[in-house]
Amino acid sequence: MSLLDLLLLLSLLTTLYLYAFGNHRNAGHLGMVVYAVATGLVIAMAGPLADGTGAVGSTFAPVMLGHVLSWSMDGLGWFFALLTTGAAFFASWYMSGEWNAEQPNKRIQHGTLALNVFCMLLLLSSGDLLSLFIGWEFVSWAAFLMMTQLGSHAARAAFRYMLYALAGAMAVFAAILIVKAQIGSFAFADLRAAVPALSDGLKWLLFGLFGLGFGVKMAIVPFHLWQAPAYSFTPGASSAFLNAVSARMGLFAILLVLGKLIGFATLSDLALPLIPMDAKTLLMWVAAITMVVPTFIALMQTDARMLLTWHGIGQGGYMLLGVLVATPLGTAAGLMHVLNYASYQMALVLAVFAVIHRTGTADLDELGGLIKRMPFTYLALLMGIIGLAGLPPMNGFVSKWMIYKSLLDTQQPLLLIAAFVGTLGTILSVYKLIHNIFLGQLRAEHQKVGEAPGSMLAPMLILAGIGFATGFFPGLALGVVDVAQAALGVELLPHGLGGVYLATGSLNMIWVVGIMIGAIGFGAFVFYVIGNRRYGVHQFDNYAGGHFLSADIRYHFSHEFYPGLARLIGPWYRGSVVNMENGLMIGLKTAGDLWHGAFRIAYTPFYLLVALAIGLWWAGLDGGF
Amino acid sequence: MIGTAHQIVLPVVLPLLAAFLLPLVGRLHVWPARLLGQIVGVLHLAVVAYLWTLVGGGETIVSALGGFAPPLGIVLYADRLSVLFLLVLSVGILLFWPRREHGGTRADTLTLLLLGGGSGLVLSGDLFNIFVFYEIVAVASYGLAASGGNAAGFGAALRYLLLSALGSALALLGIALVYGAAGTLNLADLSVLAPERLSGPMGLAAFLLLVLGFGVKAELFPVNTWVPEVYTAAPTRVTAILAGVVSKLSMVVILRLLVLIFADPGAQTLLLVLGLAGVIAGELAAFRAPDLNRTFAFSSIAQLGLVAVAFSIPDDLGIAAGIAVAVHHAVVKPGLFVIAGHWTGPIERLGGAARVSRPAAIAFVLLSLSIIGIPPFPGFWVKLLLLGEAFAAVDPVYALAGAVILAATVVEAAYLFRAAALMWEPPEGDNRPPAAFPLARLAPTLVLTLLILLAMGAVSPLGEALEAMAAEVGDAAIYVGNVLPGRI
Repeated sequence: MSLLDLLLLLSLLTTLYLYAFGNHRNAGHLGMVVYAVATGLVIAMAGPLADGTGAVGSTFAPVMLGHVLSWSMDGLGWFFALLTTGAAFFASWYMSGEWNAEQPNKRIQHGTLALNVFCMLLLLSSGDLLSLFIGWEFVSWAAFLMMTQLGSHAARAAFRYMLYALAGAMAVFAAILIVKAQIGSFAFADLRAAVPALSDGLKWLLFGLFGLGFGVKMAIVPFHLWQAPAYSFTPGASSAFLNAVSARMGLFAILLVLGKLIGFATLSDLALPLIPMDAKTLLMWVAAITMVVPTFIALMQTDARMLLTWHGIGQGGYMLLGVLVATPLGTAAGLMHVLNYASYQMALVLAVFAVIHRTGTADLDELGGLIKRMPFTYLALLMGIIGLAGLPPMNGFVSKWMIYKSLLDTQQPLLLIAAFVGTLGTILSVYKLIHNIFLGQLRAEHQKVGEAPGSMLAPMLILAGIGFATGFFPGLALGVVDVAQAALGVELLPHGLGGVYLATGSLNMIWVVGIMIGAIGFGAFVFYVIGNRRYGVHQFDNYAGGHFLSADIRYHFSHEFYPGLARLIGPWYRGSVVNMENGLMIGLKTAGDLWHGAFRIAYTPFYLLVALAIGLWWAGLDGGF
Repeated sequence: MIGTAHQIVLPVVLPLLAAFLLPLVGRLHVWPARLLGQIVGVLHLAVVAYLWTLVGGGETIVSALGGFAPPLGIVLYADRLSVLFLLVLSVGILLFWPRREHGGTRADTLTLLLLGGGSGLVLSGDLFNIFVFYEIVAVASYGLAASGGNAAGFGAALRYLLLSALGSALALLGIALVYGAAGTLNLADLSVLAPERLSGPMGLAAFLLLVLGFGVKAELFPVNTWVPEVYTAAPTRVTAILAGVVSKLSMVVILRLLVLIFADPGAQTLLLVLGLAGVIAGELAAFRAPDLNRTFAFSSIAQLGLVAVAFSIPDDLGIAAGIAVAVHHAVVKPGLFVIAGHWTGPIERLGGAARVSRPAAIAFVLLSLSIIGIPPFPGFWVKLLLLGEAFAAVDPVYALAGAVILAATVVEAAYLFRAAALMWEPPEGDNRPPAAFPLARLAPTLVLTLLILLAMGAVSPLGEALEAMAAEVGDAAIYVGNVLPGRI
């Protein structure tokens, strides 16, 4: 029994157990233990994978219809597996205490989390194209089950997700069947070996089908509409888990199939007719659009969860762009962003759900001033948004800096500008998030709101802490990234504890953060020690233009944040993609109605006549009677 | 290999005999008649199971009735394919045997007639008998379709009768063309003569007529317009049998015709076009169907379209895929029709169904997942087999068909899961949740669901058995060699 067998078995048993007994009050604690053990098992696998060629196989290899299904985890899968079990650990922690006590459907929440982990591990360790597809379907349906648990709103979003996911899966299915028909095998190695001999048309077809199929899960534009509502309306820690990990399965599959098997270099050789662009650049631009458009959609959201999940889509664009640069720096940047994003996005989503847990709403128009009531949640959210915006000292800065730098090094100024524009949108909208929830004046109805319980605070603060630690010492994360990078066959990036060392310019975060802390410390000293502390400003004081106003009316400006900007970018996102989706649906309904109406028994003689006439004419074509 | 095993006639003769006796016995008393019917049903299954032991290893039983040698005599031919579908027929009918509430012995008689006629249909070795048994099946199914005793049922059955009669006339015309050209109706004999006498446009025209004629029962495009109406108006058990079993028997006949007599690209293309049209029409219409009964009726049309597409692929594995789709559908769809028969009315009214009857809702989801083709359910392996063949076929038109089928799968998932999702929602507005499901009524569905789950563990052996079966069926020489040992 190999380590992988053990991991999968543990995960499967956990799923079965939690589905059966997830209502127990210790289900969350049990989950924590299991996911900690699972993370330990994943870490224990690292040894043989480090050089990039090793893999941990599974002894479970059933023969189905003559195809041997195999599972084996290489460095790339390992990287994402670590992310999965780690995220599940924090999610389970969050669900272990007060949250667990108050949820009506905790069995489903614990069960679906375990099921998702199991399916993801299965996908991440797939050893051939067929097991990859099976894992892919498992992951899609497990996520559907997780999203649909609350009914109504969530179920509708989940249903939409299911349609997108299935359409994507069918594209992947077509692609692997074409591969099988062409090279006679589902094996990874065979595809890799056969790629150079394939015709350009076939390569385009495979690129399109795989890209579409895997891209749907990453919610790349224009297949992005499903993700934000589907993730947002999933409860609590499940939503955080989906945000941190689920869409990354798409990135994993793109890296595995397009990056490792077909090869990004092959894609660079596929030229588009008429315009000077190749398949890889095309995908990079798709990533760039995914970076920018959803970010500005996020800016317009009034639900805190929707704001974050829309950002998640945009952040996925950064990761894809990074790995598509395909230099050692770019690949490392994209992969590191996966880890970084998981840490701060989970902290953010958990913090927002903590606010919902206490106040009952995530509506950004209905909150404000919670900083005094929920200071630790505020801290977690503050650290999270610094990471999301990509500012020092958090880890988001490091990976984004590396992405910018890799674009600069490969001389792609337009993509660099797109990345900057995306970041600008992020900064604006995360300010809206923290301002509308925590700053300003407290609403009367939230007067008695208390801090989130420890079981919920601890995971989000630790996640934010991880974000800070890997921002201070990026080497910690880059060491993990190395394993995946080696498995992809990309040269490793020279790095140390403090950052990356490059001939064209290095980054040492220990210095950056050190100086920042020093400067902030100095500022604090000036304000709090030397400065005048006689005029304390109370939370309920109102000022206008520096003048004190009456304090009897509570006032917090949150409704229609950024009105000017909204007017400016409003016309841009009038929903052409939404219209496209609607159009498709209407077309389908119309065609359905047509056929449905055509099934009248009275029409049959006519059909029969037509079929006979055409059939006989066609039969007579080659020779005549 | 003219077999001495005359047990081969039992599946045909026993039910037919019982069917004629039943009304007479029923005049004396109802219950002995009903008991007799049920005993014959069980006996039929026993005989079929015994036949499987004879042919399961790849042997064939050929029986020349009355001792007249083919091609003059009447031949019954039993290989694994025919016995497999006898088994499907037998189990299907036993599972959906008429209940007491249908009154009298009429339904029992018709069911026995269907059993005997259906058995004859798959066993017959010549076109004439195929036509005769097809008519027996048709007559039995008109009666059964009307056996609900309501006006809608009578209306639907009458229209079904008219359409079916039209189809029979076409089939007869096709048979006449074949006879005119070849001078024989024995399938083996025709198989030998076909390359010479039926290869041109005449043969293709005959095939078109036969396919459109037999296609009425096989729910083939465009002679399937009776399907939604009859499946909605007929009693659930009749719908389950017609959609699940009888339609497949006609497909088996079409397969035999295609392999033995019309094995040319023209006929294959024809079947492909009709099948694909059925897939598109069925899935799209199901997407807009107002209730579960119609949804499954249209979905059934699409599934039989898949069978036709699979059979049209000029390769043994295509046949294997077609048989797999047919058998899978025969297991899944009756189970779904049971649910549809209880939860009638608009789909929007399904809210709260899962709370009323969780087993039914779960069975619905599991069977739906299998029919969509989601791993690890058997439906996935069936689709893998079918699509793998489609994409690997030499003619690129099959890859196009594969793409259409994949797109249709998304539509299929859309309508099935729209209903499934509704079941877990609370009822909308003031609506009451659907009626609770008595476990006795749900029993067939549960049995079939269990069968699907068990099949998950036996995919590989089933697949191997299918491939062996398909290799045997796909080789016309084997058939001819068995029936007319001297001719090859």
